[in-house]
Amino acid sequence: MYLYQSNFKIILRMENLDAARLQMAFTLIFHIVFACIGMVMPFFMVVSHKKWLKTRDPIYLKLTKSWQKGVAIFFVTGAVSGTALSFELGLLWPEFMKHAGPIIGMPFSLEGAAFFVEALALGFYLYGWDKINEKFHWFTGIIVGISGVASGILVVSANGWMNAPSGFDYIDGQFLNIDPISALFNPAWFTQALHMTLAAFTATGFAVAGIHAYQILKKRNIDLHKKAFKIALSFGAIAAILQPISGDISAKDIAKRQPAKLAAMEAHYHTEKGAPLYIGGIVNEEKQEVNYKIAIPKALSFLAFGDFDAEVKGLNDFPADERPKVAIVHYAFQIMVGLGTLLLFAGILFFITLSRKKEWFNKRYFWLLFSLLAPMGFIALEAGWIVTEVGRQPWIIHGIMKTKDAVTPVPGIIYSFYMYILVYTSLTIAVTWLMSRQIKALNSTDHSTPNTTSL
Amino acid sequence: MIYVVLFFLAFSLLLYVLLAGADFGAGIVELFSSKENQAITKKTVYRVMGPVWEANHIWIIIMIVILWVGFPSFYNILMISLHIPITLMLLGITLRGVAFVFRHYDAFKDNSQIIYDWMFKISSLVTPIFLGITFGALLSGKIIIADSIIPYSFKALYIDSWLNGFSIFTGLFFASLCAFLSSVLLIGEAENETRKIYVRKAIIATVIVVIVGFITICYGFYMDIPFINIFLHNYITISAISISAVLLYPLWMSIKNERRIYSRFFAGIQVLLILIAALAPIFPNMLFTTSGSINILNEIAPNSVIKVLGISLIIGGSVILPGLFHLLKSFKMIKILER
Repeated sequence: MYLYQSNFKIILRMENLDAARLQMAFTLIFHIVFACIGMVMPFFMVVSHKKWLKTRDPIYLKLTKSWQKGVAIFFVTGAVSGTALSFELGLLWPEFMKHAGPIIGMPFSLEGAAFFVEALALGFYLYGWDKINEKFHWFTGIIVGISGVASGILVVSANGWMNAPSGFDYIDGQFLNIDPISALFNPAWFTQALHMTLAAFTATGFAVAGIHAYQILKKRNIDLHKKAFKIALSFGAIAAILQPISGDISAKDIAKRQPAKLAAMEAHYHTEKGAPLYIGGIVNEEKQEVNYKIAIPKALSFLAFGDFDAEVKGLNDFPADERPKVAIVHYAFQIMVGLGTLLLFAGILFFITLSRKKEWFNKRYFWLLFSLLAPMGFIALEAGWIVTEVGRQPWIIHGIMKTKDAVTPVPGIIYSFYMYILVYTSLTIAVTWLMSRQIKALNSTDHSTPNTTSL
Repeated sequence: MIYVVLFFLAFSLLLYVLLAGADFGAGIVELFSSKENQAITKKTVYRVMGPVWEANHIWIIIMIVILWVGFPSFYNILMISLHIPITLMLLGITLRGVAFVFRHYDAFKDNSQIIYDWMFKISSLVTPIFLGITFGALLSGKIIIADSIIPYSFKALYIDSWLNGFSIFTGLFFASLCAFLSSVLLIGEAENETRKIYVRKAIIATVIVVIVGFITICYGFYMDIPFINIFLHNYITISAISISAVLLYPLWMSIKNERRIYSRFFAGIQVLLILIAALAPIFPNMLFTTSGSINILNEIAPNSVIKVLGISLIIGGSVILPGLFHLLKSFKMIKILER
């Protein structure tokens, strides 16, 4: 009887682990979108605001006020999903938080402060029209943007710590000599924060620009949408063009610190010198091979270590219970890199159009292309998070604690997962609908200022 | 340094109860208003709360971060045994936040407002109830902490600790406290006739808070809730409650005479006294289990962590508090105090 019961408990825990992972992944996928837009859009808003102050062209005022509503909506949805996440960390992974909480408290408490500053600045910005000094008002918008980016970097630093745990000594299962500051500046924080910040700008830039491109394609209020498109895409394109440099730094870093993750990203099973780089391909996890791929000889060794003949460790050299799932990580990685490259070229195309080929702005295909690119940045960004998160498995703290040992003992997490699916899906539908209404209001022909303060 | 951290924890709790409480309360006041008054309340609430809305709710995140960084073992127990009410509270926070934004930022004001309004009002009532239930669960002495959880049923482990009379009364008490805070705040924000509405509501809310509080204590006493026993035998608590009872009179008078500054001041004092009365007898044994109580100061984070946490809180506090004050002042919430 007892044996049966404990077996039952193990089964329950396994199910719980999957449910908890799914719930965490699901909420993060949503939160990342909200948070990125809430973090990057203030920059578009202040640029447009600056142009209004300079030119007094009412179109810029209208655009600024419309973007500020977007910022407000995404900021709050990001804030509530973030509040939920700050609790979920403990609700789903109590054992992780019990040990990791004190160590990674630093980035989280600073994030709390940055977020507070952002909320205060946003309060000034949203409600400060015609009430406070014009320049100071504009400046509060800048603070919103900067503190948003700071929050993002700090949270990513906490994630970096899970990949590159530091700032403590792990002795006999105990976390001793904790140093929160060196945990904050863990070896992964910089590469990850840089990559994520650029990704946020790329994704949001292309998404916002894409929405405006679609409006131009539909010939609605072209003057306004073109201005909006240029501001948003300038940010997105610059970030997309810089991203490969950051990607290269990240790859070399992962090759050193998390070779198993790198091997999974590249679906690289067998240790070899002068390892080839696989592009595409179907992963067969049982036979440990990759079919239908394009192999570029020695390229992986070069990309990972800057040496064509360097040895790249294959997954087979890791214990079976320390290997991440290969297929999903490999596919996600391919999607991220593929879409990133696509956006890089689109960014270059934009700057060529802007500087030399202004007539392309009159081409239908130009606007169609950028409309289609709208979701690509976010797909790449989510794929990137799948690479880093699934690629870290089975560890929750790399090399120290496994995810299965961190999960909550409370049974029935699957129901909580269902609830989150329901709530977040309706939330997404509602936010999308709300945004489409914002755009509809923006397209109303009169250029008088939409009233933001009254109901 | 641990006392600096504890101070910030208590301070965040006080500000959360005051600010978020008034914020939750706004929805409750709206829920229990006539149709005409609802529209007025909605407008006033937006004008008053809008700029500080997000700031009001960050205090709970600050609290949770302080708990997990400084008091990891205590936090661990909380997150496991009170998983369900905390999840339900989060659901409420999410829906409420979303409803607030939707109803004020939707580009068109049409029939969809009705849905947002209901979502806002209902979640404004339900969320503080679950917050109170969660707090009540800490005190009700039904949380099971055991080396092996096998002999216990799901219900005993994860339901009974919070779904009990005492916790529910605590939840109702907190919700009525929110309504009280909000209607007192709104007195100062409305003019003439509307102000009279909030004066009446504030008086009703005060009476409800006192009655529900009294019932909660009586129920706890009758059911032998260990917390109530300690509560009734602690001299700090008794003095806090006595002062609070005495101060009810000036509170009442200032509400009646529509004194905006005094009524807010006395309402704030009441909350402070309630928190002192509730926390003084249980500190540091903040959590009551079936077999005893758990000391929050047991197994706290190592000194190096507490030190860094304390310093960051001091620095963060010195940046944030003036900013918050300035924001409140800019939008006239504090200006009245200076008149």
